[in-house]
Amino acid sequence: MASSWSDEELLAALQQALRARQAVPPEFVMAGKNAFAWHNIDAELAELTYDSSRDSDHALSVRAEAASIRALTFTSASLTIEVEVAQDSLVGQVVPPQAGTIRVQHRAGGEDSVPADEIGCFSIQPIPSGSFRLHCRTGAGIEAVTGWITL
Amino acid sequence: MRDDPSVLTLVARVGEGDQLAWNELIERYSPLVWSICLRYRLNRHDLDDVGQTVWLLLVEQIGNLREPAALPGWLATTTRHECLRTLRAARRHEHGGLPPEDQMPPDPDATMIDQELIAAERDAALRSAFADLPRGCRELLSLLISEPPHSYADISAKLGIAVGSVGPTRSRCLERLRRSPQLSAFLGDHADVITEAKATEGDHGGK
Repeated sequence: MASSWSDEELLAALQQALRARQAVPPEFVMAGKNAFAWHNIDAELAELTYDSSRDSDHALSVRAEAASIRALTFTSASLTIEVEVAQDSLVGQVVPPQAGTIRVQHRAGGEDSVPADEIGCFSIQPIPSGSFRLHCRTGAGIEAVTGWITL
Repeated sequence: MRDDPSVLTLVARVGEGDQLAWNELIERYSPLVWSICLRYRLNRHDLDDVGQTVWLLLVEQIGNLREPAALPGWLATTTRHECLRTLRAARRHEHGGLPPEDQMPPDPDATMIDQELIAAERDAALRSAFADLPRGCRELLSLLISEPPHSYADISAKLGIAVGSVGPTRSRCLERLRRSPQLSAFLGDHADVITEAKATEGDHGGK
């Protein structure tokens, strides 16, 4: 219990605690605080539920085809976002099919926006180079955001 | 996991979009993330990268934590996971969110993670209790633990108190620290661990 700490022990523990905090570089802490900019309380998180590059059966089955296309599926409670990596673009579809806006949010900063047509299809060109995520807002106002993607 | 009302409060406020509550969580737990990364001997670049990833995962997942009191444990496990990923990664793929905390795979380094976790919680309780002390106490204790150590005569001159009252003031301030709600809450839950921590840390510093 607290009363079992001698003054010396308590002082040593305090010294250790303050040093542990001082040992963390300010930029490291600042990066953590800045990450809050990605907080979006309205959007559902769409988790990666399928990645063709991690699916060995799929890899075998497409080997005979001209080019193997990387396919990713993200699933949230109300939406599924399917994405395929084409030669020079990302093509995708929102399921259930519906119109909306897809925002490409770059981890390094900045974002682009493309429309999803009435059957939910969208195309992103060029393929984002760094880490990014997709934020989808449907015409009905449903919002979902994928986890971070690096292709 | 202990039921820390202030972590619960902070997590709830973050859920409402409160940046200050988020900052407080980062202040409190960045030493935990940092120290685990050091255990894996990551270079500074990778260390910043892991930190960034952990914070992004936290901001993404904080609304989904089933047990907000388990947040420190979630952070520790996620940091370890990201350190290992960084060490292994020959090439990077998109990573989806991590599974919820209760579906994490068994942890071979559980002992190390537990030690870091408990040390981080103890340190956070101490810093929080220290911050609540009256200014005079904070000044005195800071001088007492600074390197190189100050003599009582130095302290007396710096703080404008009689040499003879440095000792008694020191005891009084430490007693306040010891009886603080933060430390009582922590020690109440971890009495056994403190004994071990004392054995390994009691001989470091502290004049």
